[in-house]
Amino acid sequence: MHPNDGIGHVTKVDHQTSPAIAQNVARTTTSSGRKESAAMRFLRRWGTIVVIVLAGLGFAFASPYFATVSNLNNVLFSMIVSALVSMGLTWVVMAGSFDLSIGLTVTTSSILVAFLMPIVGPWLAIVIALVAACVIGLVNGVLVTYGRLSGIVVTLGVMFVLDGINVFITGGYQVPIDYGETAFLYLGQGKLGTIGVPVIILLVVFALALIAATRTRIGHYIAAVGDNPMAAFYSGINVYRWVILAFVLSAFMSGIAGIIVTSISSSAQPVGGEGYLLEAFAAVFLGATVLGKGKPHILGTLVGVFFLYMVDSGMNMVGFPFAARHIFQGLVLIVAVGANALLNREEVHLKFI
Amino acid sequence: MSHAPLVELINLEKEFAGTKALKGVSLSFASGEVHGLLGENGAGKSTLIKILTGVYSPTAGEILLEGVPVRISSPPEAHRLGLGAVYQDAELVSSFTVGQNILLGNEPGRIALNDRAMHDEAARILARMGIDLDVRRLAGNLSAAEMQLVTLATLFHRRYKLIVLDEPTARLSAAESEVLFRIIEGFKAQGIAIVYISHRLREVQEICDRATILRGGLVSGTLNRGEVTEDRVTELMVDRNRSELTTFNTGESVLPDVALEVTAISTARLAPLSFHVNAGEVLGVTGPVGGGMEELARALGGITRHSGSASVRGKTVALATPIQARSAGIALIPEDRRKQALFPSLSAAENICLPVLNSLQRLLAVSPGSMRRYADGVMERLAVRPPNSSTQVRFFSGGNQQKLVIGKWMSAGAAVYIVVEPTNGVDVGAIKEIYDIILGLARGGAAVLLVSSSLRETLAMADRIMVIHDGAKVAEAPKKEWTYDELLAVTLSGISRRAA
Repeated sequence: MHPNDGIGHVTKVDHQTSPAIAQNVARTTTSSGRKESAAMRFLRRWGTIVVIVLAGLGFAFASPYFATVSNLNNVLFSMIVSALVSMGLTWVVMAGSFDLSIGLTVTTSSILVAFLMPIVGPWLAIVIALVAACVIGLVNGVLVTYGRLSGIVVTLGVMFVLDGINVFITGGYQVPIDYGETAFLYLGQGKLGTIGVPVIILLVVFALALIAATRTRIGHYIAAVGDNPMAAFYSGINVYRWVILAFVLSAFMSGIAGIIVTSISSSAQPVGGEGYLLEAFAAVFLGATVLGKGKPHILGTLVGVFFLYMVDSGMNMVGFPFAARHIFQGLVLIVAVGANALLNREEVHLKFI
Repeated sequence: MSHAPLVELINLEKEFAGTKALKGVSLSFASGEVHGLLGENGAGKSTLIKILTGVYSPTAGEILLEGVPVRISSPPEAHRLGLGAVYQDAELVSSFTVGQNILLGNEPGRIALNDRAMHDEAARILARMGIDLDVRRLAGNLSAAEMQLVTLATLFHRRYKLIVLDEPTARLSAAESEVLFRIIEGFKAQGIAIVYISHRLREVQEICDRATILRGGLVSGTLNRGEVTEDRVTELMVDRNRSELTTFNTGESVLPDVALEVTAISTARLAPLSFHVNAGEVLGVTGPVGGGMEELARALGGITRHSGSASVRGKTVALATPIQARSAGIALIPEDRRKQALFPSLSAAENICLPVLNSLQRLLAVSPGSMRRYADGVMERLAVRPPNSSTQVRFFSGGNQQKLVIGKWMSAGAAVYIVVEPTNGVDVGAIKEIYDIILGLARGGAAVLLVSSSLRETLAMADRIMVIHDGAKVAEAPKKEWTYDELLAVTLSGISRRAA
């Protein structure tokens, strides 16, 4: 007789049960964070690296030229510009935003340095190009924070503007570097022993970025702001400052990339910078799965770029057509990020960006 | 200087669109004092706290900090002045370790970070607080209670002079609450003033040096330690002068058949409980905020994972997802309307028509005309103002937004409506209309579960009342057996004084 149940008398429930419940909560939540098997934990941490090593071994079996020092040198050399741009983008994605203007920042810095070199000399030209890159980052950062605009919209707009300016300055033609600029050309074409100078520049920038990201306030606060801006705000952190810095670092690294690509090719190309953008996003998200971090980090990004270029070189040697390489890279990106998402399952997934 | 109060509020007033939430509150908080703040919903507690932490600015009155008048214009400004707060939904950086979270914003080292020093310092803080927690664990893997404790640990480095704790034990077990009380003792010893908001009388008796009771936007009394008794607090809290609500559910719409039968439903934070609601009946569910009543609503709406069984109109139903709950005939009208129930940038018509699009569509298309006619009809019946169905929802007031949420579900023909805090953030004028709409749902034969922390609202609207305290059902009885004072006593103490 439901309608009479509970009506007409007060039901008393022992409320001593409640602390036990709360403690249960603590226990179950704790264990759910830890109950994964050792194999799962290994996969989460080392899965991407294992795939890279396996792919490397596969190429080494298929082609005798793949696993050689000279090919490693080639791969490293070809990935320099992309690696710099990708490491730059890593800062912005860490801070929780997007930067679509990086590719065009490379082009802009490249054109500026080539254009100014006959006028002000190589060193001042480099400084001006790098400062200009930082200004681009500053504009992006200020518009995203104080301007309250979305990172995608702002950097898309800046990308178009830069493209217009570049074509306007150059008239659409490449800007050659004079053969007499030997010091400048040494940056991209010189060698120290068997290692190319730009490879050394890349490794130095990488080392500095890695230290800044893992050992200083810069990386710490940018990561905090990107993960939970509200918590950072209530902790007295100047959230805007760190978001702006992330955009400036991104543009600065793209600026370095622009100078090196100019030196390598002895000229500045007014078009083609957009290609770096897509590679950089692929590398950053692939890199986020490295070591099971689940969020972008500098070392992971470098590993991601290396993987993309290693596959490129390997497939080239084995004789795959150019188109097949993109298909493979795209699938690897989706599978790696997807597998990582499966390992780090959230209860409800309602984010589609 | 120990006699001068740390913070002094003089004749604070706050007016929202013609309604006075605070009507001249004068209060003082001393250094090293734990000051309890009690009051019914709408008494002005949260308004007062939001003024103290810079979220609102007062309409009139003055705030003195250490004898000097201050203007608290924003939360960072409050932070700088040394006024801090811990809210119920703790904020942590989930990808950081416990240690990194505790020292966030105050890391040791100038430019370089010393990871070991940071975690050692955090471990020292936790040890001093008496919390056994690995500082290297990721914050994202902590339980709700552990997160709350870590949030408290972050206060140690922020050098606050006054800390507001808003229902801090809502997510803590008894043992963890003891830890919290020890932490509070520690803050007291450092000369920090604590403002302690709680609906749990035992806690207030245990740790507060003084307790102020607010009533209708005024201070109705301040009690010293030892004077805080259930009778005194009840007497000071209940507003005898406040006009009774004009809406009253007389219970004639209750039908004999059961619409919703719930057996041993339980979640991680809710002990198994059973109840039923008849068609045409309003079951009031009340208790302290965070005490488990919201958890019940979320479980029945298919949002929180739960065990136990439920049947709607005699048919056993699964409620694992919101979609299943919806097709089982349960409509959940959540408290956070803007986030969980409305699409602010869509028009009123688009919002209202969402659940009934299938029945409005002809040949896979919905004509704007039929949508507008349907929406206009609903809005007229609910007296939504402005009566313009093409206006975007974000331009309506809180009360009218609530009407739109109800309107959205009204004609979808649910068997059970779960309404959570329906008048929270609603302008006074619209409250009666919303009550009438809810009672209209019951008269239409639906079962209504009214989840509300307002006792007055519960007593006016419900046919039966169930009290949930600390994740367990402590009492259930028909409305006519409850008096206001008795209901207040049960929700405060969690103990039903009447024999079963």
